[in-house]
Amino acid sequence: MMAVTMTAKHDAWETTMSKPKEAGSPAVDRRSFFKALGAGATLAATPAMVTPAAAVDPGKEETKARYRESEHVKDFYRVNRY
Amino acid sequence: MARMKFLCDADRCIECNACVTACKNENEVPWGINRRRVVTINDGKPSERSISMACMHCTDAPCAAVCPVDCFYTTADAVVLHSKDLCIGCGYCFYACPFGAPQYPKVGNFGSRGKMDKCTFCAGGPEVDLSPVEFQKYGSNRLAEGKLPLCAEMCSTKSLLAGDGAIIAQIYKERVVKRGYGSGAWGWQTAYKETVAI
Repeated sequence: MMAVTMTAKHDAWETTMSKPKEAGSPAVDRRSFFKALGAGATLAATPAMVTPAAAVDPGKEETKARYRESEHVKDFYRVNRY
Repeated sequence: MARMKFLCDADRCIECNACVTACKNENEVPWGINRRRVVTINDGKPSERSISMACMHCTDAPCAAVCPVDCFYTTADAVVLHSKDLCIGCGYCFYACPFGAPQYPKVGNFGSRGKMDKCTFCAGGPEVDLSPVEFQKYGSNRLAEGKLPLCAEMCSTKSLLAGDGAIIAQIYKERVVKRGYGSGAWGWQTAYKETVAI
């Protein structure tokens, strides 16, 4: 009994949703339009995704050694030996 | 190549906080931030010990490992610095650092954080050496002037050592060999002679 009811409902749904296309339908229907839009967006995003991530390189000037054993520094070492 | 290191001789530290004050004054550190602080354990008990802590300029710095914008870099003399232009104030470095070195200025309500600030070993930042911009962002650049961090130079008991890791390690070894026992504080023998048994 239940199976019969469900089949009847299914048939009704099928009839409603799959209407035959009307003669005057537009050249690009809604689904095709969104499909084309999605493909276009994917193509546009592709170059951004393949660009390699670049870590920041501070450069030689920034990372050069600034420490030097000046007289001031030598004095510091000397008095710390007391 | 010399590698810059801090070494705090805990037997000599008297918790005077001169290093903290010197750092704040020299670098004009913003209100609410301490690049250096003194930690004391067993306060008031016979085994009390104090140690002055700041960024330890790790060889494989965990702050740099977790930074999502790669704003950290290590100089040729092993000082870990960062760019405030790149920092986004996310706070990851604060959680990663075992010494609690990274600090953040409070820039607004609702806990919003500004650019991270930390000890630079008095070596400035990525800006042009000794420029006003560098001073405003990172504080003084004493290394470029042929000097060492002021916290260490200011230490009254010569507890805090800074400079070439090999040299300051040698100085510390000499101290340990010489004092052998008890306090190695300056003037201990002058004050108490050699008769004091510890």
